[in-house]
Amino acid sequence: MTLIRNEWRLLVLGPTLLLIVLAAIFLGVVNMPPAEVLNVLLGYGSMDASLIIGDIRMPRVLTGVLAGIHFALAGLLLQTITRNPLADPSIMGVSQGATLAVTIFLFLTVYMFNNDPNILYRLPVQWLPLVGCVGGGAAGAGVYFLAFRHGLSPLRVTLCGIAVGAVLHAAAMGVISGWGTARLEIVMQWLSGSLYARSWDHVLFLVPFTLLGLVALPFMTRPIGLLRFEEDVARSFGLAYRRQFSLVLLLACGLAASAAGAVGPLIFVGLVVPHLARFIAGPRTSLIMPMTIILGAGLVTLGDLIGRLVGGPEEIPIGVVTAIGGAPVLLALLRRTVRG
Amino acid sequence: MKRATLLVGGMLLVSIVIGFLGLLVGAKPMTLDAALRAVAAPNVGTDGIIVWTLRFPRSIAAFLVGSGLAVSGYLLQSITRNPLAAPDLTGATAGAVVVIVSCFVFLPSLSSVYYAPIGFVGALSASALTFWVSRGGTASPLHLALGGVTISLFLAGITTYVLLLGGPQSPSVMFWLSGGLQGRSWNHVLFMLPWIGIGIGGALVCSRAIQLLALGDEVAAGMGLRLGFFKAALLVLAILPVAGATPIAGPIAFIGLAVPHVVRLLRVGGPAVTIAVNVALGGMVLLIADILARTIAAPRELPIGILTAIIGGPVFIYLAQRRSFLAGEAR
Repeated sequence: MTLIRNEWRLLVLGPTLLLIVLAAIFLGVVNMPPAEVLNVLLGYGSMDASLIIGDIRMPRVLTGVLAGIHFALAGLLLQTITRNPLADPSIMGVSQGATLAVTIFLFLTVYMFNNDPNILYRLPVQWLPLVGCVGGGAAGAGVYFLAFRHGLSPLRVTLCGIAVGAVLHAAAMGVISGWGTARLEIVMQWLSGSLYARSWDHVLFLVPFTLLGLVALPFMTRPIGLLRFEEDVARSFGLAYRRQFSLVLLLACGLAASAAGAVGPLIFVGLVVPHLARFIAGPRTSLIMPMTIILGAGLVTLGDLIGRLVGGPEEIPIGVVTAIGGAPVLLALLRRTVRG
Repeated sequence: MKRATLLVGGMLLVSIVIGFLGLLVGAKPMTLDAALRAVAAPNVGTDGIIVWTLRFPRSIAAFLVGSGLAVSGYLLQSITRNPLAAPDLTGATAGAVVVIVSCFVFLPSLSSVYYAPIGFVGALSASALTFWVSRGGTASPLHLALGGVTISLFLAGITTYVLLLGGPQSPSVMFWLSGGLQGRSWNHVLFMLPWIGIGIGGALVCSRAIQLLALGDEVAAGMGLRLGFFKAALLVLAILPVAGATPIAGPIAFIGLAVPHVVRLLRVGGPAVTIAVNVALGGMVLLIADILARTIAAPRELPIGILTAIIGGPVFIYLAQRRSFLAGEAR
């Protein structure tokens, strides 16, 4: 009976995601009749309409879907292997590392190569995803090696992650504050996590990571399941604990870092979505991962849609929407999971 | 006790010497002779003005902010018996920042005199929220830190958005957000003195309660300590210095986190003495950081937040690496 009900939940969630994605393509600041959108999708649209749908809305929605999947999966993996319900990509220092890398990169390009404040120059925004990804990955690697010397226990990883993350965050804030006035909005926009002006390049940047993750995960279900136990227990089941722990950590950091590079640090998605997935999946643990993927994609798309519709032309960044929507959920959750 | 007196005395002496040497350096270097004459004759001549209205008050301000933040961190760590409690990791700093920035952007007519009480409310609410979600932070050290980090990041996100909404006037906020002491005058020192003074003084008065809390909640209650009252009172005392310091100096990281740990490693004794050592060490570290901030890239200034992160961060990472860090021995 429960079995049927749970399958049913997955069946409901899938189409809901599809509906949200369609809504995100059909609705927007530029009011466009649904018939015209349909025309574009079928390939008969006018120039303007195809431009808006094909080059602005679709890549943006797809970037959101992929980034949502990345953050949600990274959060689920980290929560599982560190046995900590409050883990998310920021505890590996990934978000903070990406932030620091992007701020330093923009700072250098603005101040090193453009000393004339009167010239309006192009910022190398196309490099941001790569820079953010490298920064986040480097931070994750740093945490890993610090924790490695002490035996890679989940406690050590978390502790090192918090310490390194705090240092990187403080350094990034320092750089931003010393910024001066020039083109500050770009950094702020990136920092608050935005899907504004995301193009097909961003989608292409994310797709390899997504594919890698989605292909690797089915092969890793058994190790991931065993990593939930203490090291001794997991070893007694024949698990190469260190190696598998490192592999899962690497996968989580790669997913989170690439997404943070493309859309900025969306902190609440990785934290909240896995809990929602667990809540909805109930006793069927095998459903948690697919649910996480669907919910991650759906929530980010929905959040972005709300931000666009509520904010109008001056849209509310997705990071702010997920933060405001996610915070109450998070607080309730923390209170429930942390028993005194 | 004797050793502790020596420690406090030594650190204060070092602070005075460094503070004096700090008068010599900066955008306009000064000879020892000129500085001595300037100190003797307040506000006479260029040197006198530089020393008495620019360099002297900001050094005092740096010392006050550093000592206040260190004591605040010590109090938070004592209430929770949690090595990761500190103004920045419990969300207090972020809470103060978000309300002050919001007032600056949305209520420009509001006088900056009110920033300290407003910041106090914000910091207190944010840290109370962190404590509430982590059930007092006593269950597991990591839960408090994770809750605090998450709440800090959340508040920082809101701050960023408010700044985005604020548009053109943002640069002057950014100057403050950089956590610098540039151009801080005697008025600023007087403004934050009561906040930091009451925080430190109150902590000294409550030192017996701190000592009992260190034994564990049950034992402390068994010894007749009113847990609810004293925990709340100590939390308020811990937030007071943050509220006083943040409007003046901006958010300054790691002093409140790392200094109390270093003091613990020195093993000085009872709470009252430990608080005194915290005051001396915290003040000294921030004084040095401030002098570095204005001399390394003179005549430009580095944000002091970067310096405290560079100095305090590795210290904290090293401390967190110690096997005893979470076990309680390091306390």
